[in-house]
Amino acid sequence: MFEQPLPRWLAWATDPEQVRRAPFLSSSPLFTGLPRRLLARLSTRFFEKVYHPGEVVFEEGDPGRALFVVVEGVVEITRATPQGSYVLNTLGPGDAFGELALIDDFPRSATARVVTPGRLLILYKSDFDALMEGNARIAVVMMRNLSRRLAIYARRPPGVMSGPGPSSETAGPL
Amino acid sequence: MKAGRLLAWGGVVALAWLARGLLLPVFLAAALAYLLSPAVAWADALAIRRSVAVGALFAVIIGVLVVVSFLLGPGMVAETAALVDRLPALARQIDVGLNAAVRELAETAPALRRLLPEGGDWVQRFVLNRGPGEPADLFEHVGHLFLLVILVPFFAFFLLRDMHRLIALAMDRLPPQHVETSVAVWRELNGVIGRYIRGLVLDGLVVGALAALGLWAARVPYPLLLGAFAGLANVVPFVGPLLSAAAAGLVVVLTPGQGLAGVGRVVMLFLVIKVLDDTIIQPFTIGRSVHLHPALLLGSVVVGNHALGVLGMIIAVPAATVLQETVRLLLEHRRVLARRDLRGRPGRLAA
Repeated sequence: MFEQPLPRWLAWATDPEQVRRAPFLSSSPLFTGLPRRLLARLSTRFFEKVYHPGEVVFEEGDPGRALFVVVEGVVEITRATPQGSYVLNTLGPGDAFGELALIDDFPRSATARVVTPGRLLILYKSDFDALMEGNARIAVVMMRNLSRRLAIYARRPPGVMSGPGPSSETAGPL
Repeated sequence: MKAGRLLAWGGVVALAWLARGLLLPVFLAAALAYLLSPAVAWADALAIRRSVAVGALFAVIIGVLVVVSFLLGPGMVAETAALVDRLPALARQIDVGLNAAVRELAETAPALRRLLPEGGDWVQRFVLNRGPGEPADLFEHVGHLFLLVILVPFFAFFLLRDMHRLIALAMDRLPPQHVETSVAVWRELNGVIGRYIRGLVLDGLVVGALAALGLWAARVPYPLLLGAFAGLANVVPFVGPLLSAAAAGLVVVLTPGQGLAGVGRVVMLFLVIKVLDDTIIQPFTIGRSVHLHPALLLGSVVVGNHALGVLGMIIAVPAATVLQETVRLLLEHRRVLARRDLRGRPGRLAA
């Protein structure tokens, strides 16, 4: 549980947005295990944007430069095949996607589309890199979480498509 | 719709033209905001409201300035007063020296006589006629300075407090397909400019302190004043270090008892500072924030000088870096999209 970052008598000086954001990020599987202080630093680097239903966050083949975290709404991850496109996963609040952009410079491997009115947090790759360079703890925890997600994806039997669900643990990396 | 948009843009351009006098205060305020932004980011991580954090930061800065002016102020004021008192005599001395040099040159090379200027009170006219002639001019100069002192912290306060909201608003208005590249461009540029400005100020402080200490050790008069000038001039690439060395050299030439050995000491001191700056100080302060080819760097400074004078020379390097980074990111974006289109665009899923 996250304690109040400032003493109670300084509650008037507290930024409610920031107080809300850090605990929210800690509930995301990608950021599990990060200490409160580091999570608070990381949370200041996010942009927040409102999306409308049907809006495409990114398309398969787009250059990947950022990680997204769903704050509100539902995001559908789809991939195109010669037989047509299929849904890889459906993500809800707390789920992160586009995390491969933090690791490599390859184009996006799937398309992300907002299904219901939503808000997303956006973390740019260079901001993430700067934090990792400045703090080995962030690097270790994040890489462990990313590896865990990749391992889950690699162990899935071939041909199994994940059904809709709030957890991104079943989603393939993007 | 299109006409309305054009009209709105025309209004913005007209407003910008009318407010062009605010360019310098806004530029200085932005530089101050970049300088202080790490402290605000630190406060953000502690979940302190921006207005409280920026207010507290400004209170601390005012306190530090008061303490520093108590410590260094009397020495600086005394040196400035002594220099102003000696200025007419110094100007006369320089004129005598220049006239003698011109006469000597004319005697050595009579062919040049027609090209050489007549002897005169060049420096005295230049230095002594610089002061504001009319009381109205004096008020104008003081008014400009006062406006800068008031406007720069005022704008910097609001930039630090509200810039993130403006950026968030702009991001919210962007079409989703441009968000990722826009965030990338903004973050890269923000990082480059911030690192460059903070590095430049830190570099100027170190160079100024080294120059002041070195000049004091070499018993050159006005070490504090010349050190402060060296630190300030250091923000102008190429020209700044030359100017500060020339100023110190001139003071040595005009100081009885210093002689050529004194000039040699000053030249050596500024040479050592320059080498230290290029090899040790700058890699630590400005570091990797600027990736410009030396020719491009020099070219940008020349263009900046032509466009905006000294201010142009100062902002030339970050402006060229920003331009280079923006072009790189946009070209990269285009290249990836072109590669995707070549492979065959995947089916668009969104309506």
